[in-house]
Amino acid sequence: MNLFSLAGVELKKIRRSKILLILLIPVIIMWIPSIINADMNFDTRGIPITPENNFFIQGFMGMVWFMIPASLVVGTVLLTQTERSNKGILKMLSLPVNTAKLCLAKFTVLILLAFAQMVMTIAAYYGSAAIASQMQDYSFFLNPLYVCRVVFSLYAGAIPMAAVFWMIANLIQTPVFSVGIGLASIVPSVLMINTKIWFAYPMSYPFYLLMVEYGRSAEGVYETQIAWLPWLPVAVLITVIALGIACVRFSATERR
Amino acid sequence: MNIIETQDLTKTYGDFTAVSHLNLHIRKGSVYGFLGPNGAGKSTTMKMFLGLTHPTEGCFHIDGKTYPSDRVAILKEVGSFIEAPAFYGNLTGEENLEIIQKILGLPKSSVSDALELVGLTQFRKRLAKKYSLGMKQRLGLAGALIGRPPILILDEPTNGLDPVGIHEIRTLIKSLPQQYDCTVLVSSHLLPEVELMADDIGILNHGRLLFEGTMEDLKTSARSAGFPTDNLEDTFLAMIDEDNRRGGAGR
Amino acid sequence: MTVALETKKLKRTGYFPAFLAGGLLASAFPLINMLVRAETFTTLPGDPFIILMDANWQMMAMLNILVCICGACLMYHTEYADNGAQKMDVLPVRTGNLFWMKFVIAALVLALMVAIETAVLAGCVIHWFPSYEFDALELLKSAGFQWFVTLPTVMLMLVIASACKNMWVSLGIGVILVFTMSIFPQDNLILSLCPFSSPYQTLAMAAESSRVLLFLGICTAETVAFGVLELVYQKIRRCAE
Repeated sequence: MNLFSLAGVELKKIRRSKILLILLIPVIIMWIPSIINADMNFDTRGIPITPENNFFIQGFMGMVWFMIPASLVVGTVLLTQTERSNKGILKMLSLPVNTAKLCLAKFTVLILLAFAQMVMTIAAYYGSAAIASQMQDYSFFLNPLYVCRVVFSLYAGAIPMAAVFWMIANLIQTPVFSVGIGLASIVPSVLMINTKIWFAYPMSYPFYLLMVEYGRSAEGVYETQIAWLPWLPVAVLITVIALGIACVRFSATERR
Repeated sequence: MNIIETQDLTKTYGDFTAVSHLNLHIRKGSVYGFLGPNGAGKSTTMKMFLGLTHPTEGCFHIDGKTYPSDRVAILKEVGSFIEAPAFYGNLTGEENLEIIQKILGLPKSSVSDALELVGLTQFRKRLAKKYSLGMKQRLGLAGALIGRPPILILDEPTNGLDPVGIHEIRTLIKSLPQQYDCTVLVSSHLLPEVELMADDIGILNHGRLLFEGTMEDLKTSARSAGFPTDNLEDTFLAMIDEDNRRGGAGR
Repeated sequence: MTVALETKKLKRTGYFPAFLAGGLLASAFPLINMLVRAETFTTLPGDPFIILMDANWQMMAMLNILVCICGACLMYHTEYADNGAQKMDVLPVRTGNLFWMKFVIAALVLALMVAIETAVLAGCVIHWFPSYEFDALELLKSAGFQWFVTLPTVMLMLVIASACKNMWVSLGIGVILVFTMSIFPQDNLILSLCPFSSPYQTLAMAAESSRVLLFLGICTAETVAFGVLELVYQKIRRCAE
């Protein structure tokens, strides 16, 4: 059985879990203040940025800093608890599937959920841009190609973080600890982004990417070029190591 | 020919020995009743067969394959049902089976076949968490029987069923070897139940095998050891009691 | 007596270590801040304790809220995971009482957490601001205020956790609430009085706008109101199930 059909099975397991609803709510909520304060986008306080770019960047700020990581943490809880609550995992382990593959299939579901949230975010962005444009009589729309490129780069930046959260969820069986560590690790990412070692902290990757985007649309706010080195190799390394550990430790207590 | 064989199979958790130097011989095409009181090590043994727990010592062969190198190959041939029913509560009974069907690469029809076999067809659209204990048990059985695997490992399959259900499942298990040529390893803590289903029995107490053989062998050996034989329940209880007394001193 | 029982239920769940770890982690913020860039703060005019609170409390409060969310989720996860709650329902105890006991425990461990944090903040002040005169009463007042304004959050989160049998749902709602309250502007008075938002308010901020009593009053009202809401909810659920 290949990884994709296994991921299909895993998707089936989270039916009726209401996870999409939980992912959708923050996406909608995050645009409400942006719409209400749409007029503030014209007051750029000396920062050379167009109102439509300002609207886009400010709206996504909360998303990349908090909501993407938090959604991933909630996703890991969903995946582990679905298996454990009625011992479904025991049945899975007694079926002829490779446990590492099973682990990766679950990770695939996790990043698929994040992908779904990103698509919802784009839709919510255009919806709120439409409302704001109506209210302010000014077009807040940005080129869809640009929007998609930025959002999917944020998404790609979130994958190493997802791998780390997935590793934590598999390493630490007590859900409160894995969740607590995951959520707590989000808080310092604002500090990490301003240090020299930000590339070693996966929770700050999406935030970094958005900041670079900010720098590109508003000169002098932040860097305008992504520092690929040493970031990319470090990110790949972190992802691979995290997934490796996750696969080794997957369902370790059930196989004691 | 033995389809499952164990050599000195041992499992210890810390200083507690759950299974001790077990040598089982399960003939192909038979129903093997695995008997013992609660905590005797039946479930642990079955879990080892399924790779859910690693043996501390010794090894076992299933259909000529060994664990852990052939784990996936073994599991392809084994349908299993392990103590507490394991399922996904947010899915219907049918969806639960569909997951297993997809992983095993079976045809879609196998789901309805398995549902029919355990008598769940009418409840297939209900969420598994809304199932009664008996229905959960049947769902677990369906998950073991799906695809009609050549080897079945069933841990106390009649737990939680009503008398009618117990009878149905017993009849089903008994008929399986003839129906589609499979071997069944079924555990229970009730001797009369095993007596009705099994061709061979193995009696386990405190992780050690007290007896292995046919029902007739059991009667013969019990008679020679001076245990009561007119009622098999008494035979079993006397054997366990005797072992507990000896074991209690030796431990 | 029931507090002891509820505490027992939390054995080996990691509940207490989680709060301790959370407190220590939150305390690390001011410490690291001072170790890395002490001069940014030491050169500022005003009460050093308030300077450090202003610099660090936003993050510390957020951590406190997150730990409270995890704690509430865990408390009810242990109830629902193996049907413990069902057993409690058929025992001759009032489930409303059980809920309040859980709140008492959560409030006590939160107090411990805030105490650790305040102590570390005070330690930082004494170490880096030699001119500072130690004032235990002020510290106690601050810790007490920070603790008290977090209580509505604790209570509301427990209500949410008790309503959701699946942990990821209550966790998801909690996380969404933290997120929502953190993106809405903090200068709005009504919003800042809401649970999940009030913990960010420091005593100094409230005192400056002479809203200390307002905060204490509203937070008491919120805490009691959510507690009563839970009792009503339990009645309804009993009838509905």
